[in-house]
Amino acid sequence: MLPNPHASPKLVTPAMIVTLMFLATVPLWIERIGLYPYLGVEILIWSIYALGFNLLLGYTGLPSFGHGAFFGVGAYAFGLTQFNISTNLWICIVAAIVGSMIVGAVVSLFISHRRGIYYAFMTIAFGQVFWFIAVKAHKITGGEDGLLKIARMPADIGVARFDLSSNTSFYYFVLACFAVMIVALWRLVNSPFGRTLQAIKQNETRATFVGYDVWRFKVAVFTLSAAISGFAGGLFAMAQTSAFPDVMSLHHSGYIVMMTLIGGGLVSFWGPVVGAAAYLLTRDIVGAYTTAWMFWFGMFFVLIVLFKPEGIAGIAIDLKAWWARRRGAAPVVDPVKETGG
Amino acid sequence: MIDLLPHILNGITLGLLFALIALGFMLIVGLMEQINLAHGSLFALGAYIAIVIVGGETVLSPFFGDFFKLMPLAWRYVAALLIAPLVVAIVGMGVEFLMRRTYAKDPLFGLLLTFGIAMVIEEGIRGVWGTRDYVLQVPSSISGGFIFQDLIWSTYRFYAAGFAAVAIGLVWLVIEKTPYGAIIKAGAHDNEMVRALGINLSRLRLIVFAFGTSLAALAGVILAPIWGIRPHMGVDAVIPAFLVIVLGGIGSFWGAVIASLLVGALVGLTGAYASEWSLLSMYLLLIAVTTVRARGLFGKKSVLEV
Repeated sequence: MLPNPHASPKLVTPAMIVTLMFLATVPLWIERIGLYPYLGVEILIWSIYALGFNLLLGYTGLPSFGHGAFFGVGAYAFGLTQFNISTNLWICIVAAIVGSMIVGAVVSLFISHRRGIYYAFMTIAFGQVFWFIAVKAHKITGGEDGLLKIARMPADIGVARFDLSSNTSFYYFVLACFAVMIVALWRLVNSPFGRTLQAIKQNETRATFVGYDVWRFKVAVFTLSAAISGFAGGLFAMAQTSAFPDVMSLHHSGYIVMMTLIGGGLVSFWGPVVGAAAYLLTRDIVGAYTTAWMFWFGMFFVLIVLFKPEGIAGIAIDLKAWWARRRGAAPVVDPVKETGG
Repeated sequence: MIDLLPHILNGITLGLLFALIALGFMLIVGLMEQINLAHGSLFALGAYIAIVIVGGETVLSPFFGDFFKLMPLAWRYVAALLIAPLVVAIVGMGVEFLMRRTYAKDPLFGLLLTFGIAMVIEEGIRGVWGTRDYVLQVPSSISGGFIFQDLIWSTYRFYAAGFAAVAIGLVWLVIEKTPYGAIIKAGAHDNEMVRALGINLSRLRLIVFAFGTSLAALAGVILAPIWGIRPHMGVDAVIPAFLVIVLGGIGSFWGAVIASLLVGALVGLTGAYASEWSLLSMYLLLIAVTTVRARGLFGKKSVLEV
């Protein structure tokens, strides 16, 4: 069920404020519970990536299994710009976004006439092409080792200059990026454009008959999603101070699908964030006890796909509905609106 | 001018091997319209089981290694060719059992499910066998090399390609010339009607899955001596498999075989000019062909498009 199209969506919802305020306190206590600020950085970056990915999977119903390519292109574009063109942070970030956007646009021209599994197949093939180039083009990308010694430049915003070399200051920088992304994406998915994407997800043929040029929307959303992935990739290059082909492999492209699905990207705006956090926390917490953490995470993923494709967010929605029923109130079933507002 | 004959020959043997890997994947996708991304991991599992039998690795229990070491190498190799597919077929039946829940849904769920299963199997392999590389011994009669036109050729490679050709022929016979094949094909075409005729469709699907996955294991055993055995090998195998299926057209047996040979020959030929980059050519070929022909070379309409 779509939200009322006449009600203009709020730019900032209470859920956003609470989430961002909570995230702002993370560096204050994360070390006390045995974790480290860098984990927070990683969770935010992968959340941005997953949110961008979910525009395709969750909102438009397009399964991309090669999204690592754009994340990787962003990371390489960031590094290469820093080495060869400019050491200004903003220029490098724009290069990461524009670089992956161009690559995404070219790929989307080839695949946007496809549907369903064929779409997934084509994205796998393109993902492999870029991964392969990243591994083999030693002179540009540094091959298997990747680009090393990428610096975290200071963020210069005219009136002030922030040094990002410590993980805590970098965390706040990434948090600011995350906040911008959340607001922008929330606006986007509640705009007429976002509604059209959801119509395409429900039934592509029907969307065509209603008069939408579905192909253009598919190109646009893929390009946008690639650009956001590239942005996350650029931040990741800063976080890791390097860019390497591993993130472009089929495995990593699959991990982003897993995160998005486990978190509940199919039914909730916040699903990808929940999923990225779940994935990375499992890696660190379960990984501390057993090297086979991926085995257990994979099992969990299989169970989610089989029994609850709506993911963690879906479980939360069910619990909420159950609680409402218990109190005798009519259940409210409007997941997107509800988790956002 | 480079002498291209060796490259073409290498390419054709490679193509036959790709076809062998793709065979099981092809059966499952062609007859059931289900994508089994775990195919690569089951391929790897087959190779690892072969290591236990042939290599006498005392991995799971000293009993296995010691028991098989009593036999000569050739016997052990043949035993691996028989036992690995059987064990993997049982695992494959388990996969099918889980997959049943996704049949009525969007094909995407089958893809996601088997991706998860692939990960679990791969991590399971890492847990049991570790991350190190293994080498599968082969009997002396099919190992070594021979000299032809002043070049050294690997005997095993030709043996494997021959084996692949025979396997392709046998699978074709099963599908086209036996009543079972007719039922399986009918099940893919119109499962309501097949059910109405009193045929147990869920058992049929279980059998197809077991057959398809055992072919994955067989390919794993055959290819292990050529590619080496490491946990990552599953991905290296599933990618060419899916590629030749899409290129040949989903649902077309000979389409996939021809696509395999085409891809193999292309990789072999480009290897003559840029050996580092030759594998890239197959992806580019796929993109070029599917841009013009959405369903691949010989594809038919399929539910997977919706």
